[in-house]
Amino acid sequence: MDKNQEKEYLLSLARSLMFDFPGEEADWIVKEFETIRKQLAVLDEVDTEGVEEATWPFEDETTYLRKDEVTDVLTQEEALMNAKEVLAGHIVIPRVVK
Amino acid sequence: MIKEIRENRETAAEVCRKAYADTQALQPKLNAVITFIDPEEQLANLPAEGLLRGVPVAVKDNCCTKGILTTAGSAILRDFVPPYDSTIVENLKKEGAVMICKTSMDELAMGGANTTAFTGPVHNPWDENRIPGGSSGGSVALVAAGVVPMAIGSDTGDSIRKPAAWCGVIGVKPTYGLISRYGCVPYASSLDTLGVITRSVEDACIALQAVAGRDSRDMTSADVEIPDYLASLNSDMHGKKLAVLGNVMDGLLNDNVRKVFNGIVEKLKERGAQVDVVYFDQKIMRAVLPAYYAIANAEASSNNADLDGMRFGVREPGETTEDIMMNTRTKNFNKMIRRRFTIGAFALDGENQEKIFRKAKKVRRLICEEINGCLEEYDAILAPTDGDIAPRFDDPGADPLSDYNLVTGGHLDLENFNGSPSMSVPMGFDQGCPLGISISAKPFDEITMFNVAKAVEEITGLKGLTAEVK
Amino acid sequence: MEYKATIGIEIHCELKTKSGMFSGAPNEFGLEANAGTCAIDLAMPGTLPELNEEGVRKAIQACTAFHLTLDPLVRFDRKNYFYSDLAKGFQITQQFHPLGRDGYLMIDTPEGKKKVRINRIHMEEDTAKQFHMNDKTLMDFNRSGVPLIEIVSEPDMTTGQEAEAYVEALRQTLYYIGASDAKMEEGSMRCDVNISLAPAGADHLGTKNEIKNINSISNVGKAIDFEIARQKAIYEAGGTIEQETRRFDDKINETVLMRKKEGIVDYKYFPEPNIPPIRLSAEWIKDIQDNMPELPDEKRVRYAEEYGLSSHDIGILIANKEMAEFFEKTMTLSENAKGVCNWLLSDISGWLNKNGQAVDSSALTPEHLAAFIGLIDEGRISSKQAKELLDDLMTGKDPVQAAKDRGLEQVSDAGAIEAIVAQVLDANPQAIADFAAGKNKAVGFLVGQVMKASAGKANPAIVNGLIQEMLKKRIS
Repeated sequence: MDKNQEKEYLLSLARSLMFDFPGEEADWIVKEFETIRKQLAVLDEVDTEGVEEATWPFEDETTYLRKDEVTDVLTQEEALMNAKEVLAGHIVIPRVVK
Repeated sequence: MIKEIRENRETAAEVCRKAYADTQALQPKLNAVITFIDPEEQLANLPAEGLLRGVPVAVKDNCCTKGILTTAGSAILRDFVPPYDSTIVENLKKEGAVMICKTSMDELAMGGANTTAFTGPVHNPWDENRIPGGSSGGSVALVAAGVVPMAIGSDTGDSIRKPAAWCGVIGVKPTYGLISRYGCVPYASSLDTLGVITRSVEDACIALQAVAGRDSRDMTSADVEIPDYLASLNSDMHGKKLAVLGNVMDGLLNDNVRKVFNGIVEKLKERGAQVDVVYFDQKIMRAVLPAYYAIANAEASSNNADLDGMRFGVREPGETTEDIMMNTRTKNFNKMIRRRFTIGAFALDGENQEKIFRKAKKVRRLICEEINGCLEEYDAILAPTDGDIAPRFDDPGADPLSDYNLVTGGHLDLENFNGSPSMSVPMGFDQGCPLGISISAKPFDEITMFNVAKAVEEITGLKGLTAEVK
Repeated sequence: MEYKATIGIEIHCELKTKSGMFSGAPNEFGLEANAGTCAIDLAMPGTLPELNEEGVRKAIQACTAFHLTLDPLVRFDRKNYFYSDLAKGFQITQQFHPLGRDGYLMIDTPEGKKKVRINRIHMEEDTAKQFHMNDKTLMDFNRSGVPLIEIVSEPDMTTGQEAEAYVEALRQTLYYIGASDAKMEEGSMRCDVNISLAPAGADHLGTKNEIKNINSISNVGKAIDFEIARQKAIYEAGGTIEQETRRFDDKINETVLMRKKEGIVDYKYFPEPNIPPIRLSAEWIKDIQDNMPELPDEKRVRYAEEYGLSSHDIGILIANKEMAEFFEKTMTLSENAKGVCNWLLSDISGWLNKNGQAVDSSALTPEHLAAFIGLIDEGRISSKQAKELLDDLMTGKDPVQAAKDRGLEQVSDAGAIEAIVAQVLDANPQAIADFAAGKNKAVGFLVGQVMKASAGKANPAIVNGLIQEMLKKRIS
């Protein structure tokens, strides 16, 4: 993959996560990924044929389920106290459907 | 120290006020605090009893505190005031602890130097030109400086233990699930572990007992009884089988670290312990850090997708909702954090999902088998917490693909992968800066870990070690 | 040219619980905006999901009703994407291990019963509600985190009519088992249709189009009929169908383009690390399955066997769960199923409609309805009189008392009626003569006179019998 393709690719990953690498940062992240790709390639040195993935430290199954009760409800004031723009109890954002 | 403060009930308020004032006085030098919390209201409402009654405590700023700014070191949360307490903060309050501040941390706990907080870098109390280590750098620095007897940190890869080693304090990452994660701003859910930082093993026992325990709000919280660790403490090493991780030793570049470590091992043997050098498969050991990058960053990229400027936190202007999200996240995440998220997206993207993310999770199973196998035979595993003293701020870092970086510098991830309890205890000095020894035990066997730590503490005589901040 | 449509349907259905799928926020429609939410459903940092037992129970009931095979090890995954209504930036769903797989549902078609296979049912959570206003969108997070199941059919349907029947059968069953309110108008049940059209007999499927957000069952059929016609017209004009996401505009009864599909969206699914695998106990599952509420199909069979109702009447009764329940309660007090059913479906339904009431919230009680039917069956009031009593019955009055109060009760005492008949006969010698001459209509005239003399209270059947009897005596 050439540098420009790599840059486009990494920027598309960034944008899928809703951020950018503006200006010189775009070249910087490409440079960073030279090392990152090499480090991740170290994984290939381990033979994992027939090995199951592990998601958690322990694989004990649980049986706990929460009882269906209303708890920890926020007041409208608490729910909105960190919001930047509020109208009639709603959080306001620019219109999302044209 | 905790016990004395708790038991001298009439001086508790004075101790807390002094801790608060001392911490403020240190702020220009260490920059360890993001938010100070006036202790008076808490002092007026102390519970009648509690393991930490009247004990001043510093809390890492990723633990949500109701009505008190909680930023997790990120500019994106620089105005976020949670309407809820994290479970660990609830437990601190229940046990009578007095929170005097929220401490600086690497942004979203994603760093090892404590240089990425939006409030600027934290300085090592032993040498202002050195990093304290991260991501729990603020908490560790305050305990090391002696202004609080305990602090709360979090450890996803090494974020309590490595800074603890570099600042000369005790840093405990207990078993995964022992302390509820509810209300702790996440990094990587399957690895995140809250823990405690103190200056003595006894204090670590009390502190852990105070904050651990089952919490149904965290479905990964362990359903186990929390023992009285302090009452169980026993430094007798007769009959103990200890493993020294040979892979880590072989990667050492600093001979003094080897010397100090081996000196302790000899003393442990003199105290009756059997100590063997064991080796894990070196290919697996070299893959620990890469597996950690893939898994931790993948989880992090998703865990932090809630930080979008919509409902809370900073909101940058933008024509459209998408613009707002883009501007908010670009401007308010340090580029190092965006880099990590990008690694996460890369690991999960299309075919990479199989080649990198799932591959890393298979490697994780092999890592767990290595360490669990070793812990079937041995009571605890020992290694230098890190290969060196705290780096200077301008240190360029080691060769990223070297064994020194991947194995000697990355072995602390082992216990995040298999969930084992693991702690760092001061073991000595090099160039006037502290070194740590890491001690790990079987999951839920904190008692054995503390017992070995107690023996080490007696050997070194470094109980209560405090840095004199110049 | 003939074309064949291949239709699959995805239904999202809100489960009827007290609280959220992963939080304690209330699951309640119509609360003030953002007054029924919590830190978890606002995705505030550090909050964690805590799975709701009742959500799982309701989902198990749905799987059972549609004959799916259950996976007793519950696992969740993350579907990652950014959108304003998705607070966490990911949805917790069951991509890799759905709760239920491989079920089916029987639907009625003009050609008879047809089996529609269900591929999977999985649990997930709802998003926030958005209101669009000029240049702004207003966000209400009360709905964020409400328990959902998604029901994915196999592409087994071929017409709009079949699709409608499928959605209606699903709705009815989900409603009957109490898993959901299943109200498409309120959005507690939402329907996305996948449709492709190809020449009949072709060995390939056509390009798949998706129609989203259809808001009523009848619009399911309309949307599909329109889409079939639209695609057919494109084929016949020599065009090609593009892969699109469309929505149904019920003002113009057409589907309209929302967006063209550009490749497959990568949701970067991975196992939800905050929820370990949860083992559902075999006893708990069995208990839920053994105590399933009666399904509509089972009810249908029972109503025919037990009550002898016509399939037409059964269909109407069962379409309204509250009406069916009221019917069943009344039948514990009454013998006359047809009578109860007829009154419920005609006059009572009419009255409820006119007055904007529902049978379960009206003043009518099963006890009163049973007594009312009894009055008619015992001949104590006529059908005509019964209608006069309807208002009283529907406003909660005891029908027996009401009949008395209105003086409606029929006189069936033969002795009392005989006296009146004798009087009437005495007063109408001409009628007796007419009867003797074979003019039978004289009887009708005399009955009328007796009814008049009794102020309408005499039982007409008894009057008729007595007149015949007494006339015969007089002319013999």
